[in-house]
Amino acid sequence: MTSLRPILVLFLSGNRFMPVAGALLSAATALAGVALLGLSGWFITATAIAGLSVTTALAFDVFAPAAGIRFLALVRTAARYGERLTTHDATLGVLAELREGLFRGWARPDMAAGLIKRPARLLFRLTLDIDALDSLYLRVLVPLFGALVVALASGTVLGLIEPLFGTAIVFLLVLAGAGIPTVAAIAAKRPAERRAHGLEILRSHIIDLVAGHTELIMAGQLAARQQDAATVDRYLAESDDALNRIETKTGIAFGIVGTLLLSATVVAMTLLAETGSIDAPVAALGILVAFAALEPFTPLRRGALELGRTLLAARRIAPRLEVLPPESAALGPPAGLSVCLAHATVRHAGASAPTLRDVSLMIRDGQRVALVGPSGAGKSTLLALIAGEIAAEHGMVERRVATLLTQRTELFQDCLRDNLRLADPKADDSRLLAALEAAGLREDVEALPEKLDTRLGEGGFGLSGGQARRLALARLFLRAGARSPVPARRAAMAARRADRGARRADGA
Amino acid sequence: MTKAGSISAPEDRRAEAAVIGPCDASRGEGGADTDQCHATMRPASNAKARTGSALQIFASTIWIPQAWLLASAVGNIGAGDAAASVWWYATGVFVLGVLRSVLDAAGARIAFRQARHSLSDLRRDALAALADRSPIDPARPASGLAASTLAEQAEAIVPHVARFQPARLRATIMPLLIFACVFVWSWAAALVLLIAAPLIPIFMALIGWRAKAASKAQLVELGSMNAFLLDRLRGLATIRSLGAVDMTARRLRLDAENLRLRTMAVLRIAFLSSAVLELCSALGVAMVAVYVGFHLLGQLPFGAWETTLSLKEGLFILLLAPAFFEPLRDLSTVWHDRAAGEAAMQAVRDLAQQGTLLPGAQDEDLPFGPAPSSPPGVRIEKLRFRHASNTEPVFDGFDLDVVPGEHVALLGSSGSGKSTLLALLSGFALPESGRILIGGEVMSQRTAAALRRRMAFIGQRPHIFPATLAGNVTLGRPGISRKVVRKALDLVGLGAVAARRGAAPVGEGGAPGEGRRRSARAVLACREARPRGLRSRALSQPPKPG
Repeated sequence: MTSLRPILVLFLSGNRFMPVAGALLSAATALAGVALLGLSGWFITATAIAGLSVTTALAFDVFAPAAGIRFLALVRTAARYGERLTTHDATLGVLAELREGLFRGWARPDMAAGLIKRPARLLFRLTLDIDALDSLYLRVLVPLFGALVVALASGTVLGLIEPLFGTAIVFLLVLAGAGIPTVAAIAAKRPAERRAHGLEILRSHIIDLVAGHTELIMAGQLAARQQDAATVDRYLAESDDALNRIETKTGIAFGIVGTLLLSATVVAMTLLAETGSIDAPVAALGILVAFAALEPFTPLRRGALELGRTLLAARRIAPRLEVLPPESAALGPPAGLSVCLAHATVRHAGASAPTLRDVSLMIRDGQRVALVGPSGAGKSTLLALIAGEIAAEHGMVERRVATLLTQRTELFQDCLRDNLRLADPKADDSRLLAALEAAGLREDVEALPEKLDTRLGEGGFGLSGGQARRLALARLFLRAGARSPVPARRAAMAARRADRGARRADGA
Repeated sequence: MTKAGSISAPEDRRAEAAVIGPCDASRGEGGADTDQCHATMRPASNAKARTGSALQIFASTIWIPQAWLLASAVGNIGAGDAAASVWWYATGVFVLGVLRSVLDAAGARIAFRQARHSLSDLRRDALAALADRSPIDPARPASGLAASTLAEQAEAIVPHVARFQPARLRATIMPLLIFACVFVWSWAAALVLLIAAPLIPIFMALIGWRAKAASKAQLVELGSMNAFLLDRLRGLATIRSLGAVDMTARRLRLDAENLRLRTMAVLRIAFLSSAVLELCSALGVAMVAVYVGFHLLGQLPFGAWETTLSLKEGLFILLLAPAFFEPLRDLSTVWHDRAAGEAAMQAVRDLAQQGTLLPGAQDEDLPFGPAPSSPPGVRIEKLRFRHASNTEPVFDGFDLDVVPGEHVALLGSSGSGKSTLLALLSGFALPESGRILIGGEVMSQRTAAALRRRMAFIGQRPHIFPATLAGNVTLGRPGISRKVVRKALDLVGLGAVAARRGAAPVGEGGAPGEGRRRSARAVLACREARPRGLRSRALSQPPKPG
């Protein structure tokens, strides 16, 4: 449950007004619904009794309750509309905040390294987790608040008729209304988690079957993999079925408690009317309030079933939202040195043996170093260690704050201008064009109908391979004064790749 | 297209390598004829679905006698002689209430199970269609699309199938039934409901429009907000190296806020139309209550069939009025499931469509045969092949003769058909005319699977499975010893890496660049190793790594 705290804080920190207003409007909607039924029952019974004789019929003030009934109908509709708007607005606002927080969390060096290693799966999981989180507010907190308010209000009305009965009703309403969803949520936790897990495995199996199609055909494993996927689907079906059984049982439990409440109220009101302590219209009011009072609890059913998934999402997302000390906490090296490693050992998560064992290295300021070694020797790991993206298991690491320029030239789904400005937010168009000129891309960009405003698709889609590399190169030119472990070598390599790509793109 | 000697390594980075192993003499004839059951509809499914719906509707109708008992109980209080009979009424209300809950639950369970079965069927059919498709079918869907459609998007099918049909049926039957019950007692109250009734089609149009707008808004919201975050996270290395983390985070926030404003503008209108439905139903109930009240007071003396309504009858009408509108409101909530569910169903069916079939797909579970005795020759005679019937042929009258043991490199500019030729040799598609003979055996629908059992193949973009390095080498094939795997990994220079990584999984771009290609080559080596131990011959001239 502690993992929920950062998420709840998100809802209650920023714009506190919207989430609270949403909950209040939800309560108002539910209250108006109960009051509408109660008042209508009282009105009909009162008019029926008053209508028995002409005098009472003429003396009866018919307009106030009739207006009240119409008013409640309007209030209910308006409150419902307002509730939907504010709760959605609040959720969208929180999700906006959440996305920013998550991005910052993932951008921390230790996290970033993990993300780069297994992007697709992590990103997929992240999307589902974010989506799962909004049900916490919309399906748990808001309906719970509304339902509790209704329980208290109904109990108060019935308590005015008979205090003991009112108290008993509030007790029963809260116990059943909150208890049934709680039991359901506890029972649904495991299957909900299994379902989330199963969905990830199914996804991975399908990716393997399609992306690894050729490999599986050649290995004669197509049928086996289909069987595996079918097994995962059966596993998913079992969790789905378990969740549906819980949902159904919750529905039955609500139905039984509701009807029990109604029958008990019928008996209580009849007995009270017999003793003469209340009249028939009030008895009708009591019965109809009892009839409507459990209704606001039923939406909690869905929230309860999703709670397990939501908590799982919160558990996975919460650590990314923690505020951590800035990354410059690394030990600075002695003067004149950029990097100083002593007996550093690095092991990747889950690996049985370290990738780097007892590495010592000193790089002076301004010194250029090329790392040479066979594939798997640990070149990338050493660079990651120097850049602070991975921690050493043993040994001493002293380094300047550094960033790693990778071989990847990632472009973003954005316009050309903003892709370039990532490197220098203050650059004006003339500077951007100069950089493009230097990278040999200016003519191409100026030939585009929307020039710098041209939007790129995923991974720079819309540019040829050579053009994409030149754009990345132009971005590198914009990044004035970039310091990185091996800037010169990487830049030169990027340039060579860009040229090679350009030659191919030009058909040379 | 040129045929070059075995010494010249292809310059083109996009070259593929196919190594054709020796023929094995005792190929299992035909193989097991697996019955690929492509059932799309279970015969009993519709009947079951109807049972589920019928139970749920029957459960809804139980409210009518329950309301009658409640109204009678209050009527007796009004008449002052309730104490004796109240226990009977209370018990009746309780028993009927329990029955209603249980029947509704039973109906919902049947509907759910039925819907879940159809999801499994749809998934199985789509996977079978994907597996049976030729890898060189240009219309083959991308893995990401297939995965998101079949995994998460397909989940929307269950709520749609399970809830929409019963809800629609209930929205058709229940209002009519309630109207009839009210009409029996009071034509005027029924008239109030009837005034709302012609509005129902308008409601429906409004709801449909609302759902469309709302789901579109949601799609925009989810789609672009998630896409932006994922796009930036994917390029996190670049953003970090450019020092643009803070800027991107602020930009992310700004875009999300803008999107929130745009989405809310859509939702304000979308929710308004459902507010109209709510308003009509709330006012409908209120008008019935007010009419009944005035009627009971004697101020609106018309409307009942006989003299005037009694308290019991008035209350009964009041209690039924919300049940007239409730199914409509329920339908409006499941309408959202419907939009998502039908889109998902269509997407899954699109995946299940047959494209170009993989030759020999029916024999895919054919076992690997015993040791081959000698390397085969390859002959291609008057080959003609087109990717689709309306495109230019890639090969027309192409001949090639490779003697047993000969090493061949294919050279050619991009698009000249190198990959296609390798695919045809691997039996991923059959020629339009002409013949491909491997070890004297013609590549055909019947022989493709068995011939493939003697080949190894690395594509341009080898897929690395999320498993250990060793698991990626064996790919689940039985009977490959750890020793053989280790030798294969050693041969491609990954022995040390494998020893260090141990059981740590690779995959999903885990071994980037060169490492990726190397592990794929280890797969090849291991394939070649089967079943007689390693044969380095196949790897003496490996393709130049990318």
